[in-house]
Amino acid sequence: MKNDKKLNELLHSWENTYKKGQLTLWIFMALQESKKYVDDIKDFIEKQSNGTISCEEQSLYRALRKYEHIDVLTHDLKDGNKGPDRKYYYLTNLGQELFNQFVNRNIKLFYSTEIKNILKLNEQ
Amino acid sequence: MKTITPYLLRFALAATVLTIVFRYFLSYVIENQSGIIITFSAATYGLLMFASGWHFGRKDGEYLPIFDVGFRFHLSTYLIHNGLSLLWIGLGFGSKYENLNVSIMVAIYWGIFLLLHFIFFLWARKNSVDNLDKEDLFE
Repeated sequence: MKNDKKLNELLHSWENTYKKGQLTLWIFMALQESKKYVDDIKDFIEKQSNGTISCEEQSLYRALRKYEHIDVLTHDLKDGNKGPDRKYYYLTNLGQELFNQFVNRNIKLFYSTEIKNILKLNEQ
Repeated sequence: MKTITPYLLRFALAATVLTIVFRYFLSYVIENQSGIIITFSAATYGLLMFASGWHFGRKDGEYLPIFDVGFRFHLSTYLIHNGLSLLWIGLGFGSKYENLNVSIMVAIYWGIFLLLHFIFFLWARKNSVDNLDKEDLFE
């Protein structure tokens, strides 16, 4: 019982550290799929991460503003259902290249046979 | 590249209003030789300018964390304060005891500090990409 509690605390602590820095990857993955506006990006992230990554709207807006500022994202304006036009974000060529290189260097290594075997062992 | 942000513009507006009010009171009390009120209005102006810079600067950082070590806000303050002061006295709104040369000297001495701040800003830019801190770019 005591070990369960400790395990849970350690897992949460590790996950909190692990999730830091993940928002960018999830935003880029959301936009890799299609152009999206803020609510769509938020829904994508929460759904595809099984709720493990929650993003507040303010953080999302701030991140999108930064990425637009450094020219990795841009947006088109389209009619909203009601109210003002919506910003539909998408990756620029620079953003797409950045995403591709990041995935090649940091994500694909998890798919080597050796690492896949290790991860399978850990699952058992 | 976007460096003129909504919060910088709001600060500039607040600084303009505060400077005009300050200039009006300053000229009025100098004309009437009220030493205590001169000190009080200068201190109040300084505090209000600092408070508005603090407030809008914090909001600006939350909006878009431009890594400029406060240079944009300093430059805005310099241009607004000295521009309005020179215009105020140059156009004859000042007291008869006020001298345009004093305002010019203030602008020159302050300009030296602004230049040092600008050099510090250029140095800090080495750690930025498009004026955003490299260490705080991705979340």
